[in-house]
Amino acid sequence: MAEQLLEQARDIFEGQIDFEGQKLVELLVNVALTLVGAVAFLVGYFLQDIKLAVYIGLIGTAAVFLLAVPPWPFYNRHPVKWLPVGGVTPPANLVVDDKMFR
Amino acid sequence: MYSSVVRLQNTFGYFTTVVFAVAAVIAFSDLFSPRTPSVGVLKATNVQVVRGRPHYYSSKKEEYAIIKFSLDADLSSLFTWNTKQLFVYVTAEWPSAGGSSGSGQNATNQAVIWDSIITAPSSDHLANLGPVAMKKLRRSAEGKSIDPSRGKLTLKNQRPKYQITHPSGKLAEQDDVVLRLHYNVQPWVGLLTWNQDVDLWNWKTLRNNLSKKFTLPAIKKKKATEEKKAGK
Repeated sequence: MAEQLLEQARDIFEGQIDFEGQKLVELLVNVALTLVGAVAFLVGYFLQDIKLAVYIGLIGTAAVFLLAVPPWPFYNRHPVKWLPVGGVTPPANLVVDDKMFR
Repeated sequence: MYSSVVRLQNTFGYFTTVVFAVAAVIAFSDLFSPRTPSVGVLKATNVQVVRGRPHYYSSKKEEYAIIKFSLDADLSSLFTWNTKQLFVYVTAEWPSAGGSSGSGQNATNQAVIWDSIITAPSSDHLANLGPVAMKKLRRSAEGKSIDPSRGKLTLKNQRPKYQITHPSGKLAEQDDVVLRLHYNVQPWVGLLTWNQDVDLWNWKTLRNNLSKKFTLPAIKKKKATEEKKAGK
């Protein structure tokens, strides 16, 4: 029981996502942070308000962190399909290291 | 990007890059805001030279010039969104006794007689003021992100902040003294800039920032003591 809980906690902390999710999150982070920076500058420049620019930048970045860091379900929509364990008999003439199996 | 920690690190890493890039663009954008500072009036109104001690326990006596002046200047164009504060100062300048030919000597003496820090509304909280003055300052720019009107300076017969002297201790009857107005723009990000001697594209030089030449008077006699001495 305790081991199970520990395992669950470790999974949540690690927050692993699948390969497609990694590709997606990298793209999202780069695009979103660049956009936040650009918006912060443009708003600040045209309203001539540097504090506003800093706040837009920081709040925007916090939002990107929230989007990118937790393992949201949409980063796990393409789980890797492993072969089943021991479910398939190997082919009859399988040779490994000069040894015949079966 | 497979685990939370890695995503945290990568996102923060790219965040620092974005911050640097935005800061660089902000610093660069300063070049596009025109600077057209102007000086209406700069003149010495009342000049005195007195003898005094550099500090209370000093036995050395030096001559100190007290130069009151009037200043009318419009530095409002120096206030943009990237201006943190403006440092304005007035110097007195006079040629060195050795002249420009004197080797190893400075050709010009220069001493600050007055200065002032003008904060932009975005840096009002940094001003070195008491609570009442701070409240007043903040109220003066309520709802404004920049306040160019703070760059308009009007000083009438202003007492100097600093009485100036010279390493030699001699200053009375000095000829060819001029006052000069300087400014230093301190931005939130970017380079410190002083009033430049030539026009740089959008940045115009500060014209008319020299006063007329004047002569420092002889030492002011303390009348009471002089009369006492004469009477004895």
